[in-house]
Amino acid sequence: MGGDAVVAETVVLAQDDLPFPPSVEDFYLPGLFGAYPWITKFTLLVWLAVAAIIIFFLVAYRKPKLVPTFGQWIAESIYGFARKNIAEDLIGHEGVRFAPYLASLFCFILLTNLFGIIPFIQISPNSHIAFPIVLAVISYVLFNYVGIRRYGFARYMKNSLILPAPFFVQPILIPIEFVSTFLIRPFTLAVRLFANMFAGHVILLVFTLGGVVLFNADSIFVKPISLVSWAMAIALTFLEALVAILQAYVFVVLTASYVSGALAEEH
Amino acid sequence: MAGDQSPQRNGRPDGNESGAGQGWVAMSYLISGIAVWGFIGWLVDRWLGLGGVAIAIGSLVGAAGGVYLILRRLGSP
Repeated sequence: MGGDAVVAETVVLAQDDLPFPPSVEDFYLPGLFGAYPWITKFTLLVWLAVAAIIIFFLVAYRKPKLVPTFGQWIAESIYGFARKNIAEDLIGHEGVRFAPYLASLFCFILLTNLFGIIPFIQISPNSHIAFPIVLAVISYVLFNYVGIRRYGFARYMKNSLILPAPFFVQPILIPIEFVSTFLIRPFTLAVRLFANMFAGHVILLVFTLGGVVLFNADSIFVKPISLVSWAMAIALTFLEALVAILQAYVFVVLTASYVSGALAEEH
Repeated sequence: MAGDQSPQRNGRPDGNESGAGQGWVAMSYLISGIAVWGFIGWLVDRWLGLGGVAIAIGSLVGAAGGVYLILRRLGSP
């Protein structure tokens, strides 16, 4: 039995019963209610995440105890982490007033990211570029608004664009500063989160569906390889858990560091 | 708790930004330096028909500018 023949027959099998290999189309989910395209699984997941976070924090803080219950302990740890380790460490004392936003952002991104690996949900809204774009726009508006309100538009621009450097290099540096601060920042903020969740989902699809395709192959020698593929899918699910936490953290840390940059005195 | 508030933590980007934040700042300076001046070089190239020389010069200038910005903003004062 030649390798070519094996590949040919698995591919043929794949074509008639499974959407394999996965493609970008898999991320454009159909509307849940007939032809009405505005409510998809993503929409429901976002509502679910918002509701879950609100309910969790309301319940956890409803009757606060001096010796916290488990739920209260979790809620206090998350908020305390966002407040001390992100807001205060990166922005300073006045960072405390951004702690609620940073904590909400962290919880929302973390939960929606984790949807990517929770059984039977298994897709994260953040793997569709629209959701990270909205999150990045919120952070972008926030740090610019904060900076403009503190210094006024002209001085904020001067703070962010002009470094103490010899005047003849300023024409080279100012466009770089401008693009880096006002164009690349929101773009990378959105794309980093999106790309990580998108790639994670594609990888899990490849190994899970690939296992099915291998298992359906006619050759008895190919079938066992599906176990390897599924084992890889399980291992990568744990990796995705790590990525989900890390990306939520990175998004919040970068938001905080942009706010801190906007609030800082001139450089 | 009130005793450990170090006074220099006032949000200056120079000293106490997180490592990840500094890394991303450095990367975005490098990329945007090369992108901006490479693009301007490309425009000049289109305009004068230099066959790629202006793009090369632009990217080099942009990379140098990006490195300079990293040094000024993240290097020791």
